Amino acid sequence: LPICPGGNCQMPLQELFDRVIMLSHYIYMLSADMFIELDKQYAQDHEFIAKAISDCPTSSLATPEGKEEAQQVPPEVLLNLILSLVHSWNDPLFQLVTEVDGIHEASDAIISRAKEIGEQNKRLLEGIEKILGQAYPEAKGNEIYSVWSQFPSLQGVDEESRDLAIYNKVRCLRRDSHKVDNYLKLLRCRVVHNNNC
Amino acid sequence: QSPPGKPEIHKCRSPDKETFTCWWNPGTDGGLPTNYSLTYSKEGEKTTHECPDYKTSGPNSCFFSKQYTSIWKIYVITVNATNQMGSSASDPLYVDVTYIVEPEPPRNLTLEVKQLKDKKTYLWIKWSPPTITDVKTGWFTMEYEIRLKSEEADEWETHFTGQQTHFKVFDLYPGQKYFVQTRCKPDHGYWSRWGQENSIEIPNDFTLKN
Repeated sequence: LPICPGGNCQMPLQELFDRVIMLSHYIYMLSADMFIELDKQYAQDHEFIAKAISDCPTSSLATPEGKEEAQQVPPEVLLNLILSLVHSWNDPLFQLVTEVDGIHEASDAIISRAKEIGEQNKRLLEGIEKILGQAYPEAKGNEIYSVWSQFPSLQGVDEESRDLAIYNKVRCLRRDSHKVDNYLKLLRCRVVHNNNC
Repeated sequence: QSPPGKPEIHKCRSPDKETFTCWWNPGTDGGLPTNYSLTYSKEGEKTTHECPDYKTSGPNSCFFSKQYTSIWKIYVITVNATNQMGSSASDPLYVDVTYIVEPEPPRNLTLEVKQLKDKKTYLWIKWSPPTITDVKTGWFTMEYEIRLKSEEADEWETHFTGQQTHFKVFDLYPGQKYFVQTRCKPDHGYWSRWGQENSIEIPNDFTLKN
């Protein structure tokens, strides 16, 4: 479902939100499937999981950590935060595709989803920018550029370190796409339905 | 007499994405009085905490109220069993409350036989979201299923209603009694159990009241 059929974005804000949220939910499901695919291989290996879990590189972005916090953030600020969160995954997704190629049982499943998420993220960014443009034109361009600590290249790294890094990256992707989807649903109710969904 | 067997954390669930509970199986007690404690640490923190509330969710459980619950954060949870002869600890469980959401079932299931203008009879089914989930602000986006079956049927007929909290069923047999249930699922979580069953009989000669 294109965000703006035929480039025409003159649609009510509610419909724009509905289309963007359909996309953010789809992206979340893709990343959740990707994580589940990967987690199957390590679910029983507590040591591996203990070592794999480390900070998500986007944790430098001050995203609200719960409902009350998210409701305190002005909508236009939250929309710009979402833009940053989505933007910050452009390079890591591309990197993931090259890193996983041929080295994992689940690599085909991960690669196809990573590519699809990369594509859909572009449309999601477009949709969020349309929402900003329609609802908060003065706030457009205030995106907070996350200093995306370049995911260390995994070329030449030993196998276990590489697998640990890939696991944590996919885990963080699922978490961030869940945040994006959740924030957008909160904003829809707040901006379009006056907190009465 | 021996040290206690290894306990096992068998489930953690959140009904509302704002609190959560974990339950464990105690394992053998070695023939001695055995104490159980649940400890946890949170992603990005070094400190270990003990369960804040062993009572609210019943025996062999730990309840984390809003104050102790963060989402998008991994909890590393362990249960420890101790008696006079020694102690043992469960395998750690890695939990992010985001992904363990299982709501209560919907409530206020209401059934009514109605008729369209063209006299076509249908069963009008209506329900409400579970009380403790915050659907209004969008923190929770809920989807629903209903199922119904006639008194003689063995199989339920199930319908997914998306985010709608009402549903129409046509082509029911006059004189038949029908049973109906609903359940719900958050956009990122588990289906609730089926809610309270309700029933209604389709009248033989249904005529609209004026």
